[in-house]
Amino acid sequence: MPPIDIVNLTKKYGKIEALSSFNLQIDKPQCVSILGPNGAGKTTLLKALTNIIKPTSGTVTIDGITVSENPMQALQGVGTLIEQPEFYPYLTGREIIEFAARVKGATRTKVTEELGHLSNLLSLEEYLDRKTGTYSRGMKQRVCLAVALVMEPKILILDEPTFGLDPRGMKEVRDLIINLKKERDIIILMSTHLISEAKEVSDRVIIVDRGKKIYDTANENNDNIMKVTLETPLDIHGKKKDHKDMQLTFLNETTLLVTLSNGMDNSVAIEKLISFGYRVKWAEPYNDIEEKYLQSVSL
Amino acid sequence: MLVITILVSLLLTYFTFTYIPKLPSLFSNFKGFFNTPGFSQRLVGFLWSFVLLDLPVFASVFFGSPAISSEIETRTAFYVFPLPIPRYILLLAKYFAAVSVTIAVIMVYLVVQAIVFYMVFNGILLQPFLLSVGLTILFIFSIVAVTFLVSTIFNKNTYAYISVFLLYFLIFNAYTIISEVLYKVVPYYLLNNSASIIERVYLNISTGFGSFTVTPNGAGDSDILTSSIIMVLYTIISLAGAFVLFERKEVK
Repeated sequence: MPPIDIVNLTKKYGKIEALSSFNLQIDKPQCVSILGPNGAGKTTLLKALTNIIKPTSGTVTIDGITVSENPMQALQGVGTLIEQPEFYPYLTGREIIEFAARVKGATRTKVTEELGHLSNLLSLEEYLDRKTGTYSRGMKQRVCLAVALVMEPKILILDEPTFGLDPRGMKEVRDLIINLKKERDIIILMSTHLISEAKEVSDRVIIVDRGKKIYDTANENNDNIMKVTLETPLDIHGKKKDHKDMQLTFLNETTLLVTLSNGMDNSVAIEKLISFGYRVKWAEPYNDIEEKYLQSVSL
Repeated sequence: MLVITILVSLLLTYFTFTYIPKLPSLFSNFKGFFNTPGFSQRLVGFLWSFVLLDLPVFASVFFGSPAISSEIETRTAFYVFPLPIPRYILLLAKYFAAVSVTIAVIMVYLVVQAIVFYMVFNGILLQPFLLSVGLTILFIFSIVAVTFLVSTIFNKNTYAYISVFLLYFLIFNAYTIISEVLYKVVPYYLLNNSASIIERVYLNISTGFGSFTVTPNGAGDSDILTSSIIMVLYTIISLAGAFVLFERKEVK
């Protein structure tokens, strides 16, 4: 069974379906980014993985243990950062990290070791002994990351880890994720709405929209997509058009993405486009995440 | 809360020292009882406990109501919920913390009461005092459990605070009055009525609607046992409800 196995996960809030029959398997150490617009269901997915919400239907298992049934065991080796949490304002950063380490089974000696290591890694030394009530957003985010990384988790679940950080801080966090990937056999599942971030740090990108997985770079059966340049401009920028076995998305007046299904060949698709009256100037295979995102996420 | 408790105990200290000689004239209904040994101390003990009765409610609301709702409201749930701790452990830890701090605060009042009694009466009637202390502790366990149950229902502290006050001071009292007027029955199973045993261990004064009975001794063993059982039941049922709700609690 893969370390992370999500099967037919559905989460409803009243009549609103935040996640709809979502499936995801992560079977090896890698960084997986969940990319999607606000309200797409990214955070809901991560909340279901970390026992903050319970699935309406479907199952979420970590290392074969169902999270909603046995969260303590399932989350033992998992580090999390969900929705920029707040801390008890009367505790110091050190106490916050210590508490997380102790509940994950660290001895006093191990706690001291971990604090030293994490404060170096995340540059926490200056404010580790200050009450968290006095922290800025960025400081809190770093302590959150320290809590997530304490006791060397096998799985790291990060919800928009660079949120609230200045450009330097964002770069440091991205570098940290890249280094973690290199140095440890770790699964990192992170959500982001920054395409550049997903591209920079991830081995696999999943695009989510309206509670559904609409694209996964790991999926071998992805639709074949072509980028087509037209000779004559058309005034239908930003619109979608469906033909049988083909979906056309107009990026601008002269560029469109053609999504082919049912194994249609590229040359057949071009012939069809010409028969529909499009004057095709150039066609090329297309695999850019940014344009895939724009093409697949609802406007 | 500690300041309020100290203030209230100082007011009662002032009252005790000032009005002890005037008790027979202040409580003319009890004139015949003042010859009973220890009656004055029982009467003053009753008054101290009468005032004490509401303090655990305020203290438990202050310390217990935000226990769960504030985790959601202040977003600390995102830090603590994904940690590998069973939620029932989290709830129990918070419950015992709230109970402990409430007991500590109320103990200040009880210690002041004991000191005042030693000074005024040159001693203390140990049995009713210890019974009153024990029942107060039991009451604290039950009222904190009720506030925890309410706290698990809401996601905002204010709603939790208001609901406990409304439940205890308005709904319970309204129900008691309606029951007494319409059915001539005191609903002994309500927490506020069972908690009145804390004062009745000094003097068994029963103040039903339109009726008033008093015996110069404390309530009998059966009354004490019934009230204790009710408080224990409130504790168990409220905590069980809180466990179930907290286990299903989600942070949207």
